[in-house]
Amino acid sequence: MQRAVEYTEEALISGLRNDDDKALAYLYKLHYPMVSHFILSNSGTSDEAKDIFQEGVLIFYEKVKDGTLELTCQIKTYLYSVCRRLWLKKLAEKNRFSGTLDSEDFISLEDEVVTPEETEHKFSVMERAMNMLGEPCRTLLEDFYIKDNSMQDISEKFGYTNADNAKNQKYKCLMRLKKLFFAAYKTAAPAEF
Amino acid sequence: MTETEAIALIERYLTGEMPAREAADFEARLRLDPVLARQAREFEELTSALQQYGQRREVKKKLNAIHAEMEKAAMTTEPAFSFEAPEAELETIKPVQPKWRIFWNAHSTTIAVAASVAILTVFSTLLSIQLWNSMGKQTMRYTELRREVENIKKNQRAINRAFNRKVAPKAEVNPGSFSGTGFALTENGYFVTSYHVINDADSVYIENKNGSRYKVTEVYKDLEHDLAILKVSDPNFTSFGTLPYTVSGNAADLGEKVYTLGFPREDMVFGEGSLSSQSGFEGDTAAYQISIPLNPGNSGGPLFDDKGNLIGVISGKQLDLQGAAFATKSTYLMTLADQLKSDSATRVSLSRQNNLSGRPRKQQLKKLKDFIFMVKVYN
Repeated sequence: MQRAVEYTEEALISGLRNDDDKALAYLYKLHYPMVSHFILSNSGTSDEAKDIFQEGVLIFYEKVKDGTLELTCQIKTYLYSVCRRLWLKKLAEKNRFSGTLDSEDFISLEDEVVTPEETEHKFSVMERAMNMLGEPCRTLLEDFYIKDNSMQDISEKFGYTNADNAKNQKYKCLMRLKKLFFAAYKTAAPAEF
Repeated sequence: MTETEAIALIERYLTGEMPAREAADFEARLRLDPVLARQAREFEELTSALQQYGQRREVKKKLNAIHAEMEKAAMTTEPAFSFEAPEAELETIKPVQPKWRIFWNAHSTTIAVAASVAILTVFSTLLSIQLWNSMGKQTMRYTELRREVENIKKNQRAINRAFNRKVAPKAEVNPGSFSGTGFALTENGYFVTSYHVINDADSVYIENKNGSRYKVTEVYKDLEHDLAILKVSDPNFTSFGTLPYTVSGNAADLGEKVYTLGFPREDMVFGEGSLSSQSGFEGDTAAYQISIPLNPGNSGGPLFDDKGNLIGVISGKQLDLQGAAFATKSTYLMTLADQLKSDSATRVSLSRQNNLSGRPRKQQLKKLKDFIFMVKVYN
């Protein structure tokens, strides 16, 4: 079996923090069945189960990453609660669930629920903005800000004569992205840009 | 300053590429220039959002890879399915794909409940059937028991019938022994018992407490009133002796104290009671109902009143009533005796003198006991 090491909860969290893919895989495989079972037995499909679970794992992962996670229970419980929340929300959106979410006393997850919504929104806006940006801006920005490539590499890759040109191009792209992003993300975005 | 230049500055400042002095200048500008400050804020927000977005995309890619790998693993190694044991799940994680699995995931709880209910139903049905059967057995035992009782009754009846028909019958109603009771009617050998006692008999012997034993033959019978008159045919016989009692020709009164002597067993038994009704079984006016405890063997015995008058002949009892026995009224015996007198060549003289009257019961019994016989019937 390709079952890796057993992780304790602490080991798991520190593994996630240190970009240990095995820890992530372990976490994922360990808890997926539980969530998938929950969603499948609550009128969901396996695709929906996957989406919800991945979202839950992302929330957990990001919290681990930026150190804002305050875990007062087992990871399993945490993930289950988050995914349950997410799923109920989704059901409510689909109008297939008429119960009240606020009557949940399972575990108080008020903060956790607010945050993912906001970030989720932000990320979807960002994704749209990036897609609207078009090439080569998108790749350029991705390479620099996400993949952390050096300007030198980028200018070579995109055929700019020097890094400064590439930099200028990057700033232009960034400004376009800024417009696109803030236009959708915050209606109150400054107009003079 | 164009916006591009501003952004370049901001980026340099934020990434720490700016020399310290320039950075201090820039900070001062930030404080003074709200537009620049906002641009800086927005730049920061945008780039961090971009980075987070990128990170998230990366992670999502990883997760998808993990998911795909997990499904692949599950496809190849068909896992045991258990949500309860997360430790086991890594390898047991299955593809979410196959239809039956989706169905199972969605309905396993329902199926489990249904199966439990089915199992429960089966076993409770089995149990209740077993219970039912055992109850049936119990009632069967009861009926068997009852049947046994009925068998006893049947046996008794069969024995009675056998007695009545063949051997040594006695009471029709009284099940019982091979004998009955009888008493002397005249000094010269006439003798009375119930007809059913000697019915179908080949030979009849009488025997009293003294050991006197005589062969008797039937001379007269009255089926209707269950009476028989016999005569001692034994050559050795001379006389019973003077009878101490007389046969009453009148109906006895209700409430009269009565008693009888009989042979429900080998020894003579005394029984006492009252005359409780002037009619007998099912309103038979030829009989009295008396409250003497009687047993098989008492049939044919004499019924005396307090003064020692013979007022009846014991005939039987009603099985399903407590303390209800019957005796044929002596008037019918008188009638029979009268007929006998007119028919018979030999002298039939009933005793006319009652020697018992006024004597205490014990004295009466002492005098009586020689005249009361056990009737033994053979065939």
